[in-house]
Amino acid sequence: GAGGMRGGKTVVVEPHRLGGVFIVKGKEDALATKNMVVGESVYGEKRVSVDDGAGSIEYRVWNPFRSKLAASIMGGLENTHIKPGTKLLYLGAASGTTVSHCSDVVGPEGIVYAVEFSHRSGRDLLGVAKKRPNVVPIVEDARHPHKYRMLVGMVDVIFSDVAQPDQARIVALNAQNFLRNGGHAVISIKANCIDSTAEPEAVFAGEVNKLKEEKFKPLEQVTLEPYERDHAVVVAVYRPVKGKKV
Amino acid sequence: MSEVPHFVLYEHAAGYALMKIKEFDDAGLILQEVDAAHADGYKFSQIVELASFDPFKNTEAALENCNSISEGLAHPDLTNFLQKSLPKKKKHVVLGINDSKLAGSLTEAFPDLKLVFGGVITEILRGTRVHFERLAKNLPHHSLSKAQLSLGHSYSRSKVKFDVHRVDNMVI
Repeated sequence: GAGGMRGGKTVVVEPHRLGGVFIVKGKEDALATKNMVVGESVYGEKRVSVDDGAGSIEYRVWNPFRSKLAASIMGGLENTHIKPGTKLLYLGAASGTTVSHCSDVVGPEGIVYAVEFSHRSGRDLLGVAKKRPNVVPIVEDARHPHKYRMLVGMVDVIFSDVAQPDQARIVALNAQNFLRNGGHAVISIKANCIDSTAEPEAVFAGEVNKLKEEKFKPLEQVTLEPYERDHAVVVAVYRPVKGKKV
Repeated sequence: MSEVPHFVLYEHAAGYALMKIKEFDDAGLILQEVDAAHADGYKFSQIVELASFDPFKNTEAALENCNSISEGLAHPDLTNFLQKSLPKKKKHVVLGINDSKLAGSLTEAFPDLKLVFGGVITEILRGTRVHFERLAKNLPHHSLSKAQLSLGHSYSRSKVKFDVHRVDNMVI
């Protein structure tokens, strides 16, 4: 049967503090994004419609157990820097589930360059991109940004979830090519992907130090409990512009 | 690799662009100016200007060229473009290239040219990527972002299709 979300008229949706993100009010509040492809779910997620008088708006529920970006927002991240109009380079796009929510968030004025190396996931990603004109699918190795340099413009934000021991280096290489001065990196770190013997906190601190050596200035960090174990999301600003708010 | 180039090659989904660099005495100065012009398109256009642009003939040509660039190979379209866009006398001409492998591939076709990469070139290309839309505003292309979108799809489709082993390349 239908879950509690499909309450018809009883559903209330409020804007989240972060632009392009919404909260579906209910017994337990849920994150959601405004569906760019009305009538379709991407990975079986629930949809809710709200009639605001002028017409109906459809939202897709964003599950923090399925998305580290959603988990970091639930965890109280101050700012993802991903908002309507953002140009985003997404490393480790996988099948495109979180990419689809980012596509909703940045909207028609924004763009998501989605990089995924695995061909199996790449097929799913191509399917997601087919219906979303603001997603540029790139089936290529994020370690070698020069291979996809013709496909990517300058971006405001890099989101990275590549789960590789050399993730900091991968992010730095992509930033050097594609991230504007004063742009942001939002990086999901899985401690045991970097070093399975060290304490997670020590691993996170080590990754932050690597970023500092690459012209990044760390801004904030949250852990992803209770959605993921020994994961953190770190936000940093790249080549900060003097006198500008970061 | 701190030599200031006369030109740099910028590859876009819409076509090849040759950027001409204002003369500088030393690399430190141009680095400063390029950095200062990062958020200022007018300032950047005083340092770097579009010398020549060749749009790809069609989507097939764009895909072929993108495949060559990703492998660091010089496609005939690229050598033809450089042949007709660079000065006739190539001795003492310095051309900046994004990656070392492509620079190596171009050496054969242009033995007189001095090809450089990294350092200053990376910074000039960063600036070009920021301001390309402005620099290329008078060009006969449809939309730069549509060109990326279309090429992203065809490049990725061909990658997935040509994976004959159908195995994941992901290393976990």
